[in-house]
Amino acid sequence: MRFLGRRLAALVLLGIGITFVAFVLTELVPGDPAAANLGQRAIADPAAVQAFREHYGLDKPLPVQYAVYLEHLVTGDLGQSEQSHRPVRSDLSEFVPATAELAVTSILIAFVLGISLGILSAVRRNRLTDQVLRVISLGGISMPTFWLALVALYVFFFKLGWVPGSGRLDPGVLPAPHVTGLYTIDALLAGQFDVFVSAAQHLILPAGVLAAYNVGLLTRFTRSAVLEVINNDYVQAARAKGLPERTVVLRHVLRAALPPIITVGGLAFANVMTGTVLVESIFGWPGIGQYAFHSATTLDLPAIMGVSLFVAVVYIVVNFLVDILYGVVDPRIRVA
Amino acid sequence: MSAQPLPLRFAGVFSRRPGTLGSAWRQPLAIAGMVLAGAWIAIAILVPLIAPYNPLTQSSQLVLAPSASHLFGTDELGRDVFSRVLWASRLSLPLAFFLVAMAVLIGGVLGGLAGYFGGWVDEVVMRATDLVFAFPTIILAMAVTAALGPSLRNAVLAVLVVFWPSYARVVRGLVMSLGQSDYVSAARLLGASSRRALVVDVLPNVAGPVLVLATLDLGNAVLLLAGLSFLGLGAQPPTPEWGSMVNTGTQYFERWWMGTFPGFAILSVVLAFNFLGDSLRDALDPRSSWAVQR
Repeated sequence: MRFLGRRLAALVLLGIGITFVAFVLTELVPGDPAAANLGQRAIADPAAVQAFREHYGLDKPLPVQYAVYLEHLVTGDLGQSEQSHRPVRSDLSEFVPATAELAVTSILIAFVLGISLGILSAVRRNRLTDQVLRVISLGGISMPTFWLALVALYVFFFKLGWVPGSGRLDPGVLPAPHVTGLYTIDALLAGQFDVFVSAAQHLILPAGVLAAYNVGLLTRFTRSAVLEVINNDYVQAARAKGLPERTVVLRHVLRAALPPIITVGGLAFANVMTGTVLVESIFGWPGIGQYAFHSATTLDLPAIMGVSLFVAVVYIVVNFLVDILYGVVDPRIRVA
Repeated sequence: MSAQPLPLRFAGVFSRRPGTLGSAWRQPLAIAGMVLAGAWIAIAILVPLIAPYNPLTQSSQLVLAPSASHLFGTDELGRDVFSRVLWASRLSLPLAFFLVAMAVLIGGVLGGLAGYFGGWVDEVVMRATDLVFAFPTIILAMAVTAALGPSLRNAVLAVLVVFWPSYARVVRGLVMSLGQSDYVSAARLLGASSRRALVVDVLPNVAGPVLVLATLDLGNAVLLLAGLSFLGLGAQPPTPEWGSMVNTGTQYFERWWMGTFPGFAILSVVLAFNFLGDSLRDALDPRSSWAVQR
């Protein structure tokens, strides 16, 4: 319980810290925040500038400005997007489900593939398989995701036609009734199998591309985590009992190696979010990554800050959950 | 005080035997990294002599596929993609070295101060690193660059903002643990000044882990800068830069050469530094080594 309390307190403090960073970047760093946030409108419409200054308390001292900023945040006011002319918050809530579906799928792929390859690498350590996997995993973390997306789309869509092109569904296919916003899950819930197939086909390539970095990372991590425990006494004991090596590795070794692997979860999430910003627009995937990309290329400052703040908050919550999960899997952590 | 010899697996970290680093160069991966990185550095230096065309000169030969006269084809303004890819190394490589050097300097000094003084200095520095680590790197770098205004200079500043904390943490941790370690106390007991203890006993041990991190970060810097330029926040046209060239490539999807070759350049540079960094880590810290011996 005390473990949980301490983590929760740290989470809240970090959350406040994040809002402070966002505040500094939105309102202190730009030479004229009104001009930066209003863009073209600032020149055309002095009244809008005045209204903006009053709304954000820019004529008041800094601590008051920050208080005003926090007050807006608490009510969910992230400002207005210059591009869509809508509140950033409604933009975000529209785009989040697409990214959630992509991110979750990608992380699943990465964990399954990365852990399997890592185990393989550890079991075959110092042999050819191990060396090849080392180069592959280094390749994974060296790959510019946005380039991999371009090449993969060119090869698998344009040349081979194995996967459909951009978007989340084939043209003419309507998403199943909105429950979660994840098209695959919604289609299954509604029992519309053809919609599920279409959604899954559209999902596979972007999710795979986004998984590349994390597969590299997890392979390396799993390998060293497995090697830490593979020659422990109880593993030797299991072998001595005559258990097949397969059982020994999957039951005894993996069980002990799993907690450190779980800690990579937070980092894996951060990598996927980084990837979505760079990749979603290439796949025409209507998520917050594409939103961030368009905001960045059009310098839509309120939108950029809204996305950053949102992603950072989700990120620290994910890290918090990973911590808790780690504490559950490995009770020693709770004491330390 | 422990009279026992260090366990063998720590030997690489703590010994300053001359042969320790030498073992890195016996690995094929380290050699591959050296050759690749060396080739790119040579290209960056010699590019005015080897690039067949001016990277900025436009021509009427738009989006030509690769051929003998244009090895990597031409782009949407008729510029030679091969020459642009080569010239871009002059931008990315020096910037990567500069960035990492600055990050080591800033992070090292702040981390050293935090570890040495502890107390509120430590508290302030560490909370600052926490804040940076609370954001996925490119998200924070994107926000910083966008707030400052898109330009290469601001992108470099943004990368610096996200890079220094890892050095601060590593250096702080090492300074703290080494300051309390037996052999540093022994040196102090033998009458070494705290400055001598820091320079002779602590610094060489900090250097290894920092060197590994810095080598890996050379690749990360290239990757992050290319990412920011891909988003339009870094190098501005018509400057030849790999990330923005890939971005143009996405707009001319069927002209595969426009995006593919600059991407290969990024991949090969980053791969080179990762090969090197990984081999260095093997040599300096056999515990996390890929070629672990048990």
